[in-house]
Amino acid sequence: MSAGKYMEKKRECGIRDIFRRTFFIDFIKGLMVTLRYNLSKSVTVRYPDTEKWVPFPRYRGVHTLNRDEKGRELCVACELCARACPTKCITVVPMEDDTGRGIADRVAKVWKVDLVRCLFCGYCEDACPTFALRLGKDYERACTDVSCALLDREELLGPAEVPWSFDGGVVVGARFERGKGGIKVAADLSDEKSPWFERQ
Amino acid sequence: MERLFFLIFASVAVVSALCVVLFRNPVRSALALMLCLLQVACVFVLLRSPFLAVVQVFVYVGAVMVLFLFVVMILDIRQAELEAFFPPRNRWLMYAIIPVITFEFLLVILGTSFEGFGPGAGGETKVEVIGRALFTEYLLPFEVVSVLLLVAMVGAIVMAKKRWD
Amino acid sequence: MLDSALILELAIMFIKVFVVGSVLFALPIPLTWLERKVAGHIQVRLGPFRVGPHGVLQPLADMIKMLLKEDIVPEKADKWLFRLAPIMTLVPTFTVFVAIPFGDKVRIPFTGREVALYISDMNVAVLYILAISGLGIYGIIFGGWASNSKYALLGGLRSAAQMISYEVAMSFAVIGVVMLSNSLSLVEIVKSQSGGFLHWNFFYLPVGPLWFIIFIIAGFAETNRIPFDMPEDEGSLGAGYHVEYSGMRFAYYMLAEYVAMVTVSVLAVIFFFGGWNPPFNLPFHLTGETAMFVNGGWNAEFLNLLAAVIPLFWFAGKVAVFIYSFMWIRFTLPRYRYDQLMRIGWRVLIPLSMVNILVTGFMRI
Repeated sequence: MSAGKYMEKKRECGIRDIFRRTFFIDFIKGLMVTLRYNLSKSVTVRYPDTEKWVPFPRYRGVHTLNRDEKGRELCVACELCARACPTKCITVVPMEDDTGRGIADRVAKVWKVDLVRCLFCGYCEDACPTFALRLGKDYERACTDVSCALLDREELLGPAEVPWSFDGGVVVGARFERGKGGIKVAADLSDEKSPWFERQ
Repeated sequence: MERLFFLIFASVAVVSALCVVLFRNPVRSALALMLCLLQVACVFVLLRSPFLAVVQVFVYVGAVMVLFLFVVMILDIRQAELEAFFPPRNRWLMYAIIPVITFEFLLVILGTSFEGFGPGAGGETKVEVIGRALFTEYLLPFEVVSVLLLVAMVGAIVMAKKRWD
Repeated sequence: MLDSALILELAIMFIKVFVVGSVLFALPIPLTWLERKVAGHIQVRLGPFRVGPHGVLQPLADMIKMLLKEDIVPEKADKWLFRLAPIMTLVPTFTVFVAIPFGDKVRIPFTGREVALYISDMNVAVLYILAISGLGIYGIIFGGWASNSKYALLGGLRSAAQMISYEVAMSFAVIGVVMLSNSLSLVEIVKSQSGGFLHWNFFYLPVGPLWFIIFIIAGFAETNRIPFDMPEDEGSLGAGYHVEYSGMRFAYYMLAEYVAMVTVSVLAVIFFFGGWNPPFNLPFHLTGETAMFVNGGWNAEFLNLLAAVIPLFWFAGKVAVFIYSFMWIRFTLPRYRYDQLMRIGWRVLIPLSMVNILVTGFMRI
């Protein structure tokens, strides 16, 4: 309903208007709306306890360094990501290695990212010529110590919780774990649930 | 038992009434006045007239005192506390009036024989009895009081309203 | 002087006071949970969910938090009054329940003894309740003033003005009920509505529903609930009169607010919806009045027990509906503006109730 029509209706003072006011019709309508919502299913994603949102593939979460099918590192330490980074949070130190660790004989000796400064713009991902660097689906980076925001090569190369083969954009089952290393929400990718926008 | 309760209520009432006058802080005075009125209501209960007690609480404590507080709270308390007990300009007037009032009260109290006072016979006064008395025996005073209150109300509104346009 | 009958009488009285008092103290625990759950579900959320199954232990967690909080008394506050104010709100809200009947006289199985399900049946109970519940406002006013904060003071002033305005409408509504039921005693008012829902005051057409609407609007205003929660208007006053309170003193205010809500719900049920009377004449006549079976035999005792318990369930059920609608309305309506509040009180409710008194009077002749 347009605003003009609304104003017109407000000025109406006929028998219907008097009826509406006397029997609190608008008030009852409002109550019925809230009652309907009260009885409908809630849309809450019960995040840390039993459910977790897995983002879409284009989501820009924490960096991942990837390998090819043979398990070789894709990164050739070209330092383009470090150049592209607007906040200068990536450090790359190259080195020579012809043992077949990487796809070329130049691999990264050091590849560090400082997530405190990172703004997850994805320029590094765009700059990467070999698709070694991709921003992943991980978004749980809360911790009690800044040191956990400094990620180096070994951590980034490790297997991601959500593999690239999993498309994302869904809510999956999860388990809230409280361990020595802090808290963690372990996703169960096989247990797919309806997303919040389809609930109600 | 009843005498004991009466003594408690009466003494608290007297002390709190003194507090109303002696406290420098007007809000505390109001609190003391409230306590005093509540004690009087309790005395009414002892006199077997719960209706009067409840009306006392309802009207005086529940409504009139709230209005008092409403005004008192807007006052500047620090200023009020600093002010002298009596305004110095009219002090002689106060000194003249107080003995007169005291004398008058003493005269009334000493001149009355308190026979027939106390709880009425036949248990608690029923509301129906009070209503019947008000609308038959005391109809004229009742109506006069109502008209008086109405006049006071209209007067207050007229005075409060500055201009008619 | 003290014979055994008197001692027994006193003991029963103490037990009743104890039961009513502890129920009232405990009631805010489920009610806060319920309120947050209702809020959650109306806003298509879940509400508290993590402490206990469906968050039922959340109020206990809150209580522990409240107890452990620092009890701050502001430096420039009137300290004595500041400490006294929460108690002053709490005491009248509890004292009101002395006069409220939860059921009629019932017979305890295997003793043949009759016990009334109310603490006291005064013949001025209606006035008593109005008078005492009006005293609850002092805690708010004094708390607001003693905090020595402008927001708290404004909250206190607003609640004073609001209380005075709506107490008039409330009293008129109660006068209407008294005219419909011909009594000032709550037990008599409930008894006058027995025998099916058509005898309830609400269905005394056309004045009954109007009295109910006036009563419930005034009740919302007196309990400071949305849409009339001016004294604690977060938008303009921070938290209103209790902005300076923390810890248990703050919890006292909350407790008083919930008990006041229960009071208004209970009064609405007693005044307009027949109290503990069932809406229909049940086949077994399981009401307190008609099921006074003679002593003896398991069957009769069982029926006696049913007769004692079932009216309580009716009463509690009706009150629960009202408590739910309090919460329901809270999360449906926005807050009124202050001048709108005053206009509704003085220009709508009071003239309406005066006309309604005339109509009711003519109908009752």
